[in-house]
Amino acid sequence: MTPLLRRASLHHLVRHPWLIGLSVLGVAVAVAVVVGIDLANSSARRAFDLSVEGVAGRATHEIVGGPAGLDEALYARLRTDLGLRDSTPIIEAVVSSADSSRTFQLLGIDIFVDQTLRSFTPSYSRAGTATAFLTRPGTTYLGESLAAELGLGAGDRLSIRAEGGTHSLEILGLLSPGDADDLARQALRDLLIVDLATAQELLALQGRLTRIDVVLPDGSRHEEELRHTLPPGAELARKSARAGALDQMTRAFRLNLTALSLLALVVGMFLIYNTLTFSVVQRRPLLGTLRALGVTRRQVFGLVIAEAALVGLVGTALGLAGGILLAEGLLRLVVRTINDLYFALSVSSVEIPWIGLAKGAALGVGGTVLAALRPAREATTATPRAVLTRSALEGQALRGLPRTAGAGVVLILAAGLLLALPTKSLLVSFGALFLFVLGFAALVPAATLAATRALQAPMRRLFGVLGAMAVRGVATTLSRTGVAIAALVIAVSVTIGVGVMVASFRSTLIGWLGTTLAADIYVAPADPRSRGGATALDREVLEQIESAPEVAFATTYRRVRVRSSLGPVDLGALRAERPAFDAFDFARGRPEEVWRKFQAGAMIVSEPLAYHHDLDLGSTVELVTDRGRRSFEIAGIYYDYGSDRGVVTLGRETYDRFWSDREIFSIGIFLKDPESTDREEQLASLRALVGERENVRWIANRELREASLEIFDRTFVITDVLRLLAVSVAFIGVLSALMALQLERGRELGVLRANGLTPRQVWGLVSAQCGLMGSVAGLLALPLGIALAVLLIHIINRRSFGWTLHMELPPHILLQAVLLSLVAALLAGIYPAFKLSRSSPARALREE
Amino acid sequence: MMRRPRYLLLALPLLAACRDTPPAPMKADPPLSAVEALAGGDVAGYTRALEPRDFTFPDDHGPHPDFKTEWWYFTGHLREESDRRYGYQLTFFRSALASKMPERDSAWATRQVYLAHFALSDVDGGSFRSFERLSRGGAGLAGAGGAPFRVWLEDWSVESIGDADFPVRLRARDAGVELDLTLVSQKPTVLHGEAGLSRKGAGPGDASYYYSLTRLAADGRLRIDDREMPVTGSSWLDREWSTSVLTEDQVGWDWFALQLDDGRELMTFQLRLEGGGTDAVSTDPVSHGTLVYADGTTRPLALGDYRIEVLDTWRSPRGATYPAGWRLRVASESLDLEIEPLLADQELDVSFRYWEGAVGLTGSVDGVGYVELVGY
Repeated sequence: MTPLLRRASLHHLVRHPWLIGLSVLGVAVAVAVVVGIDLANSSARRAFDLSVEGVAGRATHEIVGGPAGLDEALYARLRTDLGLRDSTPIIEAVVSSADSSRTFQLLGIDIFVDQTLRSFTPSYSRAGTATAFLTRPGTTYLGESLAAELGLGAGDRLSIRAEGGTHSLEILGLLSPGDADDLARQALRDLLIVDLATAQELLALQGRLTRIDVVLPDGSRHEEELRHTLPPGAELARKSARAGALDQMTRAFRLNLTALSLLALVVGMFLIYNTLTFSVVQRRPLLGTLRALGVTRRQVFGLVIAEAALVGLVGTALGLAGGILLAEGLLRLVVRTINDLYFALSVSSVEIPWIGLAKGAALGVGGTVLAALRPAREATTATPRAVLTRSALEGQALRGLPRTAGAGVVLILAAGLLLALPTKSLLVSFGALFLFVLGFAALVPAATLAATRALQAPMRRLFGVLGAMAVRGVATTLSRTGVAIAALVIAVSVTIGVGVMVASFRSTLIGWLGTTLAADIYVAPADPRSRGGATALDREVLEQIESAPEVAFATTYRRVRVRSSLGPVDLGALRAERPAFDAFDFARGRPEEVWRKFQAGAMIVSEPLAYHHDLDLGSTVELVTDRGRRSFEIAGIYYDYGSDRGVVTLGRETYDRFWSDREIFSIGIFLKDPESTDREEQLASLRALVGERENVRWIANRELREASLEIFDRTFVITDVLRLLAVSVAFIGVLSALMALQLERGRELGVLRANGLTPRQVWGLVSAQCGLMGSVAGLLALPLGIALAVLLIHIINRRSFGWTLHMELPPHILLQAVLLSLVAALLAGIYPAFKLSRSSPARALREE
Repeated sequence: MMRRPRYLLLALPLLAACRDTPPAPMKADPPLSAVEALAGGDVAGYTRALEPRDFTFPDDHGPHPDFKTEWWYFTGHLREESDRRYGYQLTFFRSALASKMPERDSAWATRQVYLAHFALSDVDGGSFRSFERLSRGGAGLAGAGGAPFRVWLEDWSVESIGDADFPVRLRARDAGVELDLTLVSQKPTVLHGEAGLSRKGAGPGDASYYYSLTRLAADGRLRIDDREMPVTGSSWLDREWSTSVLTEDQVGWDWFALQLDDGRELMTFQLRLEGGGTDAVSTDPVSHGTLVYADGTTRPLALGDYRIEVLDTWRSPRGATYPAGWRLRVASESLDLEIEPLLADQELDVSFRYWEGAVGLTGSVDGVGYVELVGY
């Protein structure tokens, strides 16, 4: 760029600090949202990978068993009969602190062999404490960082809850990972390392192991050999498969967050596009002069792109910093959702990988430059000969309308085609969604024009000449108002789409909970997390409840994870009477027939499972049972919103036939007289009958329903946060676009002032115009928002999670959206109106 | 014989640490004191060997968990058809971590730790390999029993084949080496010292219960890398349990288990004392031995009854200098033996280094034997 051009450019930037400042801010917020989500996602994922890898140590494989784990004798047999030396027995469970909600991973190891696989586990050489570790119950080692976090040291005691009981662990010593051992450090952050004997005692897992970690040399021969020697029910799996499966679990969730964050970026790009278009339009005379002075088209193009890049760079730099700050908060939300819905994960800090920042920077600067392409090309059309008048330019913009609208239609059609593809790919779905949004945005100018034409007459009737002027003003400056309104439409429609989706989800869930939670009272372990969810209720409790006079019947439920032909699946074992079974709402299958087959040993599966694996009635799924692999036929597919991976449910009798696990997890109590008013009394008498037990929690139907909704609301907090962030980007965009627009009309208003327009009338005119644009945007956002909701509910959600949601259109969300748009627009008019009403007409005219 | 095991066992939980440090010779004090700190070092609460006991078999082949330490020591010479010679050692040590343990509800909970060493000397091939295993004495991973007789640590084991305690099957394998022998006892059980009470120091209870099976016919298979061959030979079992700790001035010991071609066996050991100066080494007067006649009758030998002279030394590439070659005389029995290692380097490079190897005998009568040198 020549010095002349640089000066011209700089001059322009300095003259319009508001405009440029808001653009930078817009880009910054958009980049911050994208980077924040990306960092939060990648931190959660990396923490997860590291803890799996770290805890896995050198192990390449693991031998895992059914729901009840492995018989510990298998380990001794592998070592004594087969001489499988690179193997270590493991008991693993999540336990929680007795004093806080902090969870720990309890790792039961054999100190004599574990060092061969894990660098960080204590060795039997730890002078003085190894004997205590082995012989004294309730002793543990933990990592230095965890000890520091808890403010504990060697010799202190740590209270944990496991298997419903509270246990006080004695800290024997602290473990420090090697300096370069990142994995160990990560793994140690959550680990309580105990002897296997202690683990069995704490978790009531006598005789069982969670798994056996194995190092196998490369080559399938070793795998095959070992596999053949394993008893039925024990399976050899690759460690990497486990990490992969868990990673897959949260993939859809994380992808959805990323898409939402990208939506913020799209809004940000619109903002840049708008700002640059505006600045180009505004400088057409200058650009024409420059061209006459011999500046080439290429140089003009470069000038605009360079300006965009500058805004992009500054905005991106701020955005990266903001994103890192934002990531802390977002990470907490992401991790909480993962904890609520998927598995226990604790992440203490945001990892800031260069690649994540680079991605954000590329998106920020790249997006800005991309958005500048069209304005830049347009700038080159300012010919030295014909410096177009504004009216000629607007005329051109109007003539271009059909082409823009046509492009919009093409984009929407392309989106439709993408959606029609027979795929479940989320990327394709999101691609279609973005095309659809862009296509709709391209239709906005035409729609705005139509709206203003329609409003012309009513406005004149209502507000006289000024009213008509306000309306005409929007239409005659369409080259700029069009883009501004489009940005507002997109932002507002996103809030509608996401809002409607969440509301629909919630109402679907409420309906589902109403039918599914059919029992009057539920009994479950107080501490369901320990033993990795394999906690159990004492069977005695069931017997006592069933003997109570007020109980009609009781159902039992047991949920375990088993391996299957579909990968690991959650298996529910349900003992239910017919009335309780009717709580299932079947998407496929007639209840009578399903019930008959279910009793005969068939399985029913939840809708997400069927959707993800293309299963239908009559399909079979092979499960790894304690008696080996068995196929089960699907008798019914039921709606279920409890898990996005899906669940298979078997009758308890069927389960007992194929699995040795005899535990129950929860009991559903159906009262003889559920309408009885003395529900509290019934509950009290049941509790008295069973007696005080530490690990038993009683939950009334309503309580459970409320707790479920609470979790639901909690998991959608992050969605709301993202929605708000996207709105704030749009808000900034609208503010900057409309403000610039009004400020630019200084001269025009000056003329009007000179002709007798009062400052009050200036306020009126500016506000009317802003309000008009806000209203148009709000109204246009309604159809787009609803369309987005449909896409989110029926395509994105379905493909991500496999749920069928019933769409619900709450009027308050629609109203809110229109109001939001109106308020943003009106706010944008305040400063220009203030400034213009105060400026003297003479000065405005002098600039002529 | 007071084998290094006594130290070794106390040191069990320290072993891994020793591995990372430079050779930790027995003489250095730190291991012992650290050991004491760790294993409680203190012997309070354990049963001690105070007076002779009535041995009952097969029960006494099994463990005596109330004593702190115990071992099953199998050594032997093997030959394949081509007359190629081998020596082997398979030893199981039991060590109690504590004299008592609270009531525990898990098969993994134990206060017993088992350690095992397996070594093979390929005499004509000039190679020596040694291996080590360690495990808790629980959850089926390691343990011992008297009736039926069995001692095992993972896939290394010795167990009765039939209803009687002997014959037994001995099996051990590790990288490239696999041994599978049937051992048939050819002589009665030998009780050392005072009817099986073997003094190791001056104080009361500084003693062990000690018996041997001095001639076990061995027959089985040996595999070295890809070469598998039938082997025959003779073995020796040493059994000992105690609670005593070496006295401070005892720095190590030399132990000899010799099978003479005339049908006799000789066991002797010398406990080496640290005298006034650092190099002044003398022998503890409690050192003793047992001569076993061909008919199985025995004669206890006091320190004055035999004399051992070092003829040569060998410097280990790993640091220590060991005696290597002896003249052993029992004048009253007209025994004058020259003992020579069949391989110079039979040092077990395990957690705690020591020399234990096959030796050949010449002199008034020929024979074979095993020698253990600890504390060098």
